[in-house]
Amino acid sequence: MSELVPQEDLTLVEEVICGAGGKVYLAPCQIACPLGEDIQRSHAMLALLPLDPEEADRQIIRIGDEIYEKNPLFPVCSYICGICERRCNYKDETGAVRRRMLVRLVADRYIRYLETAPTLPTPDKGKVAVIGSGPGGLMCAYELSKRGYRVTILERSHELGGALRLIPRYRLPGDIVDSVINSLLRIAHIEVRLGAEIGGVGKKIDDLKKEGYQAVFLATGTPVSRPLTINGKPVDNVNLEGVTLGLNLLYEVNQGISSPGLYRDKKVIVVGGGNVAFDVARTARRLGGEVTLVCLENENRSSRDGIPADGEEVEGAAQEGIRIVYSRGVAEVIGESGKFKKIKCPRCTSVFDENGGFSPRFNHDDVVYLEGDVLLVTIGQGRDRAIYEQEGLLGKSRKLDVDEITLMSNLKEGVFIGGDVKRVGFAAEAMRDGLNAAESIDRYIRGEDLRTGRKKEYQDAPVLSNAYYKSQPPLIWVPAEERLNFEPFEKPFTLEQVVEEARRCLCCGPCKSCKGCVAAGLQPVVSGIEYDEESCINCGDCAFYCPCDAISFKIPHGVSFDMTLCRGCGLCAAVCPAMAIELESWERERISGSITEAVSDMKRPGILVFLCQWTVLPPLDKKTNPNAGVIDVPCAARVESIHILEALQQGVGGVLIVACPEEDCHRQTGSREVQRSIAALEKRLSQIGIQDRVSFCTVTPRHQEEFERELERFSRKIESIGSKESK
Amino acid sequence: MIVTTLKPLDEVLGFILPYSDILVVGCDGCNQPPRGLREASTLGQLLDLAGKPRGKVFNFKITTVGKQCDDYMAASVLKPQTGNAEAVLSLACGLGVQTLAKIFPELPVFPVQNTHFMGAEDRDDGILEMRCVGCGDCLLAVTGGICPLACCPKGLLNGACGGAKDDKCELSPEKDCAWVLIYNSLKRQGKLDLLKGYRPPRDYQLTGWKITA
Ligand SMILES: Cc1cc2nc3c(=O)[nH]c(=O)nc-3n(C[C@H](O)[C@H](O)[C@H](O)COP(=O)(O)OP(=O)(O)OC[C@H]3O[C@@H](n4cnc5c(N)ncnc54)[C@H](O)[C@@H]3O)c2cc1C
Ligand code: SF4
Ligand code: SF4
Repeated sequence: MSELVPQEDLTLVEEVICGAGGKVYLAPCQIACPLGEDIQRSHAMLALLPLDPEEADRQIIRIGDEIYEKNPLFPVCSYICGICERRCNYKDETGAVRRRMLVRLVADRYIRYLETAPTLPTPDKGKVAVIGSGPGGLMCAYELSKRGYRVTILERSHELGGALRLIPRYRLPGDIVDSVINSLLRIAHIEVRLGAEIGGVGKKIDDLKKEGYQAVFLATGTPVSRPLTINGKPVDNVNLEGVTLGLNLLYEVNQGISSPGLYRDKKVIVVGGGNVAFDVARTARRLGGEVTLVCLENENRSSRDGIPADGEEVEGAAQEGIRIVYSRGVAEVIGESGKFKKIKCPRCTSVFDENGGFSPRFNHDDVVYLEGDVLLVTIGQGRDRAIYEQEGLLGKSRKLDVDEITLMSNLKEGVFIGGDVKRVGFAAEAMRDGLNAAESIDRYIRGEDLRTGRKKEYQDAPVLSNAYYKSQPPLIWVPAEERLNFEPFEKPFTLEQVVEEARRCLCCGPCKSCKGCVAAGLQPVVSGIEYDEESCINCGDCAFYCPCDAISFKIPHGVSFDMTLCRGCGLCAAVCPAMAIELESWERERISGSITEAVSDMKRPGILVFLCQWTVLPPLDKKTNPNAGVIDVPCAARVESIHILEALQQGVGGVLIVACPEEDCHRQTGSREVQRSIAALEKRLSQIGIQDRVSFCTVTPRHQEEFERELERFSRKIESIGSKESK
Repeated sequence: MIVTTLKPLDEVLGFILPYSDILVVGCDGCNQPPRGLREASTLGQLLDLAGKPRGKVFNFKITTVGKQCDDYMAASVLKPQTGNAEAVLSLACGLGVQTLAKIFPELPVFPVQNTHFMGAEDRDDGILEMRCVGCGDCLLAVTGGICPLACCPKGLLNGACGGAKDDKCELSPEKDCAWVLIYNSLKRQGKLDLLKGYRPPRDYQLTGWKITA
């Protein structure tokens, strides 16, 4: 393997535009990620982590740097996000690449580094106020500071983080949130005012403008819990003792206000079927309660009325002994002497209407009663309207009137609104709004047009039909009996598991928008193809063998290469009968040169090894292997008979071709195709009695000992041929 | 295309042992598998390796021609490259070998391959199969695009022999019965009535052996 390329030499990813449509061509995961993390790139870099632990650590920090560039809260996302996995091309085969667990490893190491990471330059441009310190506000503040603006975050609460602070600690440890936010504030020189409410009795936006803030970003989230209703009317009796809002419970537990045995020997009923309801139910269970969760939706998550919570939440809750009652609503809350007693639950026959609108229907003849001591209501959240009303930001039918692209209020200049308050979603989606708002604010302050060139269109790179699909590694959870506490129960992947899992990534996007292998020091550039149309004999072999469907026929003659699809294996160059194709960086002549060089440098009987770089083996130790020389190839498929024979002609004792196992081949069919061509060559060599001098083997990536064993075995074989011949 | 297979190397080596300067000529024409520049180079390398233990050092000149069976093209491309070649190795089918023999009357021209038949390629199965016998009176218009002369071992022109079992040929059960294939194809096209016509016996004279271009 070659040296790590110094960072400044790295040309980062390029946008690959597809066809005349002008759409940006990317892996589906990257399109799905609201922050557009270079997912494939970091997977490739993880897959190629060197064996040397120190070197690997350095590389991991570098991967962290790159992810941080796009997502300064990524350590948090590595606990709570998984949007990209929902769109992974592997999902429908054997399960998505577990991006979240891969990033977790990076995050766990990076977070320590972040504490002392260098700061951004001190900002000196205009002042901007960010209201609310959830993911949306933090992202906006960071991005603005990066662009040189002086940012102040005004937060109503006594701590930063917004709704992140409500997520149970067994899913998102509090110290992770603390550390990430503290580092972010330090790195980006962000000023913070806690207990600073905007609206109500607090300051107004105009006050902020008077204080010199040139723009304001409102990301106040959805702090208000939705009340229980039936047929559009509020359900009575919600003031009974024992009836609480689920969010309040989450808040109190995370603040350490509630006692650890709060619900011991108590029957707890949680109403709601979303992820937050499951957070509440599992929290209540951890406080000792016997928990039942009731939801309108049915068990079949793929149906229209299926439960919205993630499968993993439902599964985890069931393991923890939480009973789930599907397809029931709450028609009545019944108490006894001021205390909660039970709920009346009619069967819910459908949740959404034909247009997808939320309008549950019930069969009131089919009713059950659920008894309990505590009722926790967690059926969704909404925004705090008061400030928006006060500031005149609500338009028709009391809706926020915000430009979808620029996020500027259509009613008040210089006021930008985003995150959950605009549309309830995931943390990363709120961050995307923060990022977009920062871009708009920057343009606004500079007096530029807010809209030009903002909307990019993306197109999924086509799905490569892989020859092998490796199974998805399971998530490892602490057993249910042992995890009824607030410690995180999901075990992180080890470095080996991470590399193994990263190798599963199909690298769906174009090489130029990834360049992970370049960043990992494997090759100097993403290899182009040089095609000599005049020599082409139109046989079609390249198009037939290309594992990536990158080659198509031109009419009436020749072929053309779609470099958005090419993965640079070099198989086409190796099979073309007319030798009309060259793979950049691995041109025929260059390989010949390397052979001559390697041969001159080895003791006889020499062994020349063609080694696939994706085996990720450290450079050969010349001292222990004076008679061997290695030529790295981007994929074993690049090896052609001509080079093997050339080495033999130059007098080497034997040639060993080392590929990854077929199911592990980064180029899908590369490993298989080279076996085929070597078998054909061996057949011909047997006609002149030297077939034993060429051998093919596969080596499990990163298994140096396997490689050494193969090399040793082959060397012995070659020596024995040598001594037989000399007899 | 013309389907060929490579001769064993020792046979080829036997041809050229008496000579040292050898012109190796690939063919980029219809030869299948393609035997162009790559195959010519590889052949040179293999023969070089084979010669060494016998103390034989060859001097190969490697080249290729668009179509070896075109005397004009072959001569124009090869004549300037002959140099002091003492022998020629041809990677074409028998046609190319003979064309080279014609344009180099003084030089021995050796075939590197055995020539088999006119074949069509099934890429996925990796098969080259005889599909045309060059009868000189093409029937494919009335046989649904399948040649009974090439595909039916009995060469029957008027329908199945009746011996097919499970749609396979009674003579070579690994083969589909050509007439079942023809029937199915015509049926798909709604042209089954074509089978009602009578096809007279094949006129072997039509194959011919020479036409004026
Ligand atoms: C229990 C729970 C679990 C969740 N789990 C996940 C998950 O697993 N994955 C995921 O991606 N997302 C999850 N989310 C959603 C995610 O947390 C939110 O999408 C995200 O926090 C929204 O960010 P935001 O910046 O828009 O608003 P918030 O995070 O809600 O932040 C708003 C902030 O504004 C402050 N504020 C409000 N009004 C004012 C005012 N007038 N003046 C000053 N400050 C004010 C609030 O105090 C708060 O700090 C979860 C949410 C909850 C509640
Ligand atoms: S296989 Fe890799 S690049 Fe493709 S969608 Fe999944 S994570 Fe993204
Ligand atoms: S290098 Fe590989 S992926 Fe690229 S065009 Fe050639 S065969 Fe296809």
